[in-house]
Amino acid sequence: MDTVIIDGLSFALPLFIMAIGGIYSEKSGITNLALEGFQGFGAFIGALSAILIANAFGTDIQDLFYVALLFAMVGGMVFAIIHAVLCIKFKANQVISGVVINILALALTTFLTTQINSLVFGTASDKFQLGVMERFTISGLADIPVIGAIFTNVYPFEVIIIVIAIFAWYLLYKTKFGMRLRACGENPHSVDAAGVDVAKIRYTAVLISGLLSGLGGMCFAYSISANFSSSIYMGYGFLAIAALIFGNWKIIPTLAACLLFGFAKSGGAFIAQSMALPSSYTDLFMILPYVVTLLLLIFFSKSNRAPKALGEIYDKGKR
Amino acid sequence: MSKDNKNINLRNRLIRLMRKEKWQSISIPLVAIIMSFIAAAIVILLIGKNPLQAFCNLFQGAGILPKPSYAGYKSMLTDFMSLLNAMTPLLFASLAVAVAFRAGLFNIGVAGQMLVSGFFATIIVGYSGLDAIIAKPLVLLIGIIAGGLMGGLVGWLKYKFNINEVVSTIMLNYIAQYIISFFIQMYYINPVSRQSQYISEAARLTLVNVEVGDLKMDIPLGFVLAIITAILIKYVMDKTVVGFDIKAVGSNRNAAKYSGINVGRNTVLAMVISGSLAGLAGVTYYLGYYASIQPKVLSDIGFDSIAVALLGNSHPIGVIFSSSLISIIDQGSTYMSSQAGIRQEISSVIVGLILLFSACGVYMKYKISCMSEKVEERKESKS
Repeated sequence: MDTVIIDGLSFALPLFIMAIGGIYSEKSGITNLALEGFQGFGAFIGALSAILIANAFGTDIQDLFYVALLFAMVGGMVFAIIHAVLCIKFKANQVISGVVINILALALTTFLTTQINSLVFGTASDKFQLGVMERFTISGLADIPVIGAIFTNVYPFEVIIIVIAIFAWYLLYKTKFGMRLRACGENPHSVDAAGVDVAKIRYTAVLISGLLSGLGGMCFAYSISANFSSSIYMGYGFLAIAALIFGNWKIIPTLAACLLFGFAKSGGAFIAQSMALPSSYTDLFMILPYVVTLLLLIFFSKSNRAPKALGEIYDKGKR
Repeated sequence: MSKDNKNINLRNRLIRLMRKEKWQSISIPLVAIIMSFIAAAIVILLIGKNPLQAFCNLFQGAGILPKPSYAGYKSMLTDFMSLLNAMTPLLFASLAVAVAFRAGLFNIGVAGQMLVSGFFATIIVGYSGLDAIIAKPLVLLIGIIAGGLMGGLVGWLKYKFNINEVVSTIMLNYIAQYIISFFIQMYYINPVSRQSQYISEAARLTLVNVEVGDLKMDIPLGFVLAIITAILIKYVMDKTVVGFDIKAVGSNRNAAKYSGINVGRNTVLAMVISGSLAGLAGVTYYLGYYASIQPKVLSDIGFDSIAVALLGNSHPIGVIFSSSLISIIDQGSTYMSSQAGIRQEISSVIVGLILLFSACGVYMKYKISCMSEKVEERKESKS
């Protein structure tokens, strides 16, 4: 039972931080299907910098996690600039831009990974090996029945994500910047009339979403996949988008959606394992999170409402 | 006339050429393609290779240009037929995305719809031992029905429960992938290849290793059908009431509703059409290009098609051109990588760049109209 909670959380939280990124962008009025691309490119930059530093200074790659995390956030942000410029300056269709960025990220990172591996390290590998991060347990709290599992075998990044998520919540709902950002997605003209630069706020929002996606991607790379390769593009970005639409573009319900994904995923694996079924049966249980989501959406979608100006190109002259 | 004046004249003429609305649907993608090849050339130069040779190899590999030498039973024609074979499912899938996009819907579920149709066609016809005359049309029919039903489900969920089609198609993709993987691994697995058992030759939509003269080539039967379908879709979209209604719903839901168009029905209908096209992509892929299904893998075509449809301006004829371009780059990349010593992955980078530049099409249009206005103004002030 404990493993369900432990594995579920370690999957749900990186997903959650990516979904928050998506919320920021979409609340400001920019459709963001590019989360997957930001995640992948961020993780690529993070992994590359960790590998290079480890190689140059001979440090253990485990200790470089925080450095990698920082670089991943920067990497995701840099890649997000493309989406921001295309959508805001070049007035491109935001859905198109998102899909293109995903494709470009996948192509570019696999190409660069193999190229760098052969040029710098002289190996014909298509991945950067990172290993799984060390976990820790809070001794007193871990003894509480059931809930104790939350404090057992925790990845350090889970703590970081929670802290950043709380800050992101505060920024979005309690500050002037957050209010303006949300207003940009509902009625950009009134924001403009109030003397605030809509484009600037939208740029910031998209960059934040890139930063958070890069963070999420790096966490996946250091836990589930233990390396950086093209296999990091597992559709987690789309799952995060599903979570935020499910959560009605609000941070707390989105957390619930992500936890649902996480626990249904680890729960499915757990049931298959405890019933000692052949491995092919695991596949059947893997559909759990997706089926549950679809069923729940049937009940909850009626009241779902996207930000009003979402996906619309802001044109000052148009009223 | 001074050199400066000449330049301005040239520029004006170029702007006038680009300004023509009729040509913009061609000229803008063309500019995007040229720009991306220039960008790719710079990348290839940076790794110290010759870009011209690389591009030449790319076209040679795809069967557009002749290679210096061929193995027995092979020629440029056989390479070209392989290109068409690979292109067929992509063309169908891109048409699927394009139709949905015209209705304002975003079908990310093409991969799932392909897999479901391919799976049903495989187990019902592929393993049945039916005669080719019956088997081949039946495969197509199953593809249309299975894909159409799945697409229709997405449309119905949207109309009935307001479920965003992006979310439902993503969920259905995963569900299809895992359930079908389960059935393949339980009942239809080939222990050697770790894929589903190969289907019978009679059910296959590509004729493999046919001897024509002294050549052995693969003939994709679906290709002709795909071209006919594209033209048919163009006709339906441009000339019929159904097409008009779908486009009206796509361009403005509320306006369509007020003018008495049944939005719900058209949403479902558009998704049924889109799904059945995806189903055709599925059967031409799993029972044409391949003869088996790999468990737990969704085909890349499902996602590439989104981009290809957008590159083709969601226009059926445009999609024919965009999917051939992307297929040429994909098909040629193996030969390029072996000949020029450039990694195969660069081809996907080129594709990504093409798409990136073409995404700026609206901006280009806007810039051109700005520039041409300026030219007109100057002309007026002179006279």
